Amino acid sequence: MDILFGSIVAGVLLGMVIALVALGLTIIFGVMDIVNFAHGEFLMVGMYAGLLSAKATGVDPLLTLPVAAVVGFLLGALCYVGFIKFLLRGPMVAQLLGTFGLMLFLRNLALLIFGSSDRTVHHGIIVGKSFDIGMGIIVPATKLAAAGLSVIAFAAVWLLMNRTKIGKALTATALNAQAARYMGIPTEKMNTLAWGIGGASVTVAGALIVNFWAVNPFMGLLFTMIAFAVVALGGFGSVPGAFFAGLVVGLIMEIPGFWDFFTYTFDWQWMADVPMTSLKYMWIYVAYFVIMVVRPRGLFGWKQ
Amino acid sequence: MKTVTRYGMVIFGLLAIAGLLAPTGVLAVDEIKIGAIYPLTGGAAAAGRELRSGAELAAEIANNVMPNLAMTMARNGGIQAHGGAKITLIFKDHEGNPTVGADLAKKLILDDKVHGILGCYHSSVTKTVSAVCEQYGVPMINGSSTSPDLTKRGFKWFWRTTPHDKWFTKDLFELLKGLTEGKVKGVQAVEKKEIENVVSACENTEWGSLVTEMIKLFADEYQYKLRKALLYADKATDLSSEVRSLKAAKPDVMLFASYTSDAILMLKTLKAEKAKAKVIWGQDAGFETPEFQDTLGADIVGILTRTVFLPKVVEVKELAGQVNAMYRAKTGNDFSGASARSFTGLQTWVHVLEQAGSTKPADIQEAANAIQISGSELVVPWAGVKFSTTGDEIGQNVLGSGLIGQYQKDTDGKLVLEIVYPFDVATANMIYPFPGW
Repeated sequence: MDILFGSIVAGVLLGMVIALVALGLTIIFGVMDIVNFAHGEFLMVGMYAGLLSAKATGVDPLLTLPVAAVVGFLLGALCYVGFIKFLLRGPMVAQLLGTFGLMLFLRNLALLIFGSSDRTVHHGIIVGKSFDIGMGIIVPATKLAAAGLSVIAFAAVWLLMNRTKIGKALTATALNAQAARYMGIPTEKMNTLAWGIGGASVTVAGALIVNFWAVNPFMGLLFTMIAFAVVALGGFGSVPGAFFAGLVVGLIMEIPGFWDFFTYTFDWQWMADVPMTSLKYMWIYVAYFVIMVVRPRGLFGWKQ
Repeated sequence: MKTVTRYGMVIFGLLAIAGLLAPTGVLAVDEIKIGAIYPLTGGAAAAGRELRSGAELAAEIANNVMPNLAMTMARNGGIQAHGGAKITLIFKDHEGNPTVGADLAKKLILDDKVHGILGCYHSSVTKTVSAVCEQYGVPMINGSSTSPDLTKRGFKWFWRTTPHDKWFTKDLFELLKGLTEGKVKGVQAVEKKEIENVVSACENTEWGSLVTEMIKLFADEYQYKLRKALLYADKATDLSSEVRSLKAAKPDVMLFASYTSDAILMLKTLKAEKAKAKVIWGQDAGFETPEFQDTLGADIVGILTRTVFLPKVVEVKELAGQVNAMYRAKTGNDFSGASARSFTGLQTWVHVLEQAGSTKPADIQEAANAIQISGSELVVPWAGVKFSTTGDEIGQNVLGSGLIGQYQKDTDGKLVLEIVYPFDVATANMIYPFPGW
């Protein structure tokens, strides 16, 4: 029973962070129909930004979120202005391959600068602390903080998108860029802004994740795939969709825990012998595949 | 036409005479090149640095005369059989990647023209590198890869000095058996049912999966219940679902086979998830690197690791103490299982080269098969080095043995690894059960 509750809580907490990871991807797609393959690399940059600024200044990694946000915003905006803008003139394939190239570039740049070693945060106010709230639910403080701050960041972006003029302008650009331009909305600026916000939200997620995950230059792809699954499930371009789908994917990642629950409840040896933890990311891709086949526009999708 | 033929004959004849006069290997060489392939970057980089330092120190001792050391190689100042030729180590970084390792081995053999290879730590890399050496007929001595399969392939150009995981895993179950029989220093006999439930988590590479097989094998033989044996992706970034899975099995004994970054992450996650057991044991590798100790500090008091060398060995072995002091002066750290074994690996190379008397691969092969190094020459607490040449294991050192150490705090509050197994050389009372975090 312990493992059941433990896994659900862990899944929900992780899901909230994953939702923030996927948010940037869905904003960029929503506004300009570009699938950013380098999304996971943005996250990796955010992780390094959080880790290194914490090491350089000696403050707690959680306090470096603004640094990560600024780095992410600049990275996103620069990528758009210096690179993506030109891709938009080409066919769809050029955009796909372009962001794929960006992914390879960022990854190898990180490899050049940081080397291939894993790096982790070892010290911080809440690193390594955890709360035991009974029934087998252990909540690591870093994950709780990451989940909480993710929700706050998520809410901030949602408010920006739905309650401000800039948000309306972004939505207008998303719905019909040409008409928006006629209405006097500077769509180029809006695109840059979308990339900036997308970049900032994912790097903030990275700076949160680095508190409990190790970072190396190759880890981006895993998160790109996870973010794709979340966005596909929630619907491309949908902000609330990303949140709920993030939770679902967080729980999917805990399938090995649920499997263990049944294993020990029924005490079946054959279940214990299945290497479920080795397959823990597989279920995300299975879910992605199923969604793509059954409901390509996702649960909350409004763009075809 | 006739002149051309005659010239040709003359040139051919001269070449033949030159060839007879100077067969390869008899020509005096002023340096002997050994290619050392280690993981100098990546998840095992910390271990890689130690492996490198260990081999470098051995080369330093072999190339210079250090009469105060009771070692043959410290007295010669180079390889005497080659007129005092110096050992040159050429280090390459395999990053823990078997394909990279194989490419580097080819480069070393074809471009650098090395006389032999030393390496590679990860069993998976050693496997591919030794296959390349076998193909080119270049001798390779392995000091620190412990997958049992490596010496079961019948290779003619591969020798391994370290004991392997089958022996180490058996040692662990002997320790558990000793616990139930009251043989462990400072611990009253515990009932078997108190330590019956065993779980293991090993990294999903060649080495980890073989350790898992060994654990299964011995759990059966010693009649322990292996409740869960999971493999996790190596270079993992998150292990929390694995840890919860282990915890759900309500284990008494937890066994791990992990390289450095995984071992640290595993322990941090265990702590964060408040998972513990009465006995926590690591299969060497990540569990004894300085990085592991520095990062986790007091949290690892009570954790066991199997190894082949502990600083405490100096209490029973003077030579080990002397060499350890040199190593400490060079690196700031004590010898570890990684550095002591790469040291011994290169030392074995030196002995083999002395005995071979030439750098011809066939002579080296013959020398390696016949080598016999006494235990008193070594820094590791073995009976010596002697390779098996028959049976189902070819090229395995049959005189090696393992140790199990436990992290404890000494009187100054510093972390030390105390020997708890074999029981007759135990240096401290074992902490049982694991005190937890």
